[in-house]
Amino acid sequence: MKPEELLAGTARERGEQVFGAPWEARAFAIARRMTELGLCTWDEFRALLIDEVGKADRARSQAGTANVSPAASPNTSAPGGSASGEAYYTHFLSALERLLAEKGIVGARDIEARMAEIVAPEPESHK
Amino acid sequence: MAQGTHGTLPSGAALRVKALESLLEEKGLVDSQALDAIVDAYETQVGPRNGARVVAKAWADPAFRKRLLENATATVAEMGIAGPEGEHMMAVENSPRVHNLIVCTLCSCYPWPMLGLPPVWYKSFAYRSRAVRDPRGLLNDFGLEIPDEVEVRVWDASAEQRYMVIPERPEGTEKMTEDELAELVTRDSMVGVAKIEPPRRRAPAKR
Repeated sequence: MKPEELLAGTARERGEQVFGAPWEARAFAIARRMTELGLCTWDEFRALLIDEVGKADRARSQAGTANVSPAASPNTSAPGGSASGEAYYTHFLSALERLLAEKGIVGARDIEARMAEIVAPEPESHK
Repeated sequence: MAQGTHGTLPSGAALRVKALESLLEEKGLVDSQALDAIVDAYETQVGPRNGARVVAKAWADPAFRKRLLENATATVAEMGIAGPEGEHMMAVENSPRVHNLIVCTLCSCYPWPMLGLPPVWYKSFAYRSRAVRDPRGLLNDFGLEIPDEVEVRVWDASAEQRYMVIPERPEGTEKMTEDELAELVTRDSMVGVAKIEPPRRRAPAKR
């Protein structure tokens, strides 16, 4: 198969984005990498993802915002509110963090500390 | 929510992921190249073109179609289509009497090797809840009117099983080759939220 045939019909070619932002792609790749390395199974990850999505669904049901049409902007990744699927990778990231904590690989405090380091002003850091 | 631009620092989710990646890299668990390769694969290689090839072959080859409906995973593996989230795939066929629709009510399960990663709307609460509660209304929103006499079947991906729809072959495609047929097949038709329109005129030969 020629490369252009492989490309044909992928989201990128149709002008759609597989990921809405670079961090979404990164979070997805990290989760996949963890399963590739055998540090977890995708099923283990999925159980946590289902839990995170479920929590958000219940909150939404209570707020009564269930009747938004998913077809309103089916082929764009335009912001469409919390019911539109835009928040999916937020749940994905929460599930990933829980998994890494449960496996004793990276804890929440490690992440907070590293975030602080990254944003700390550092004169030598190049931009 | 996008990554920082013009030299600004990442914030929010982008910052969390950056911190996570940096910690995992320190532990020797991830490296930039491996992550790039994964992203690239899902952005450019794993996509609905695979499913379209399968549908076209099913239309053109009755023996293949039969095997596909009996055991999709093994049958598409013959075409080199396999991978994560494709361990237990099932093909369900539309007909003049049955219209199929796929959903994952709990999260986002989807037959990756055939269709790639799901679109944003597939993961939305609205789609996931309405596909089961009001599938005809949902299909209407997608511009698809299903007559009352046609049964709508909704396939909810379970922890194991992933589904894909074999749409109906449109009229006027009898003389088309498999490659030409594959070009007609859309992702949405394999999710079940669209039908395939008959070609207005014969597809031009390869330019």
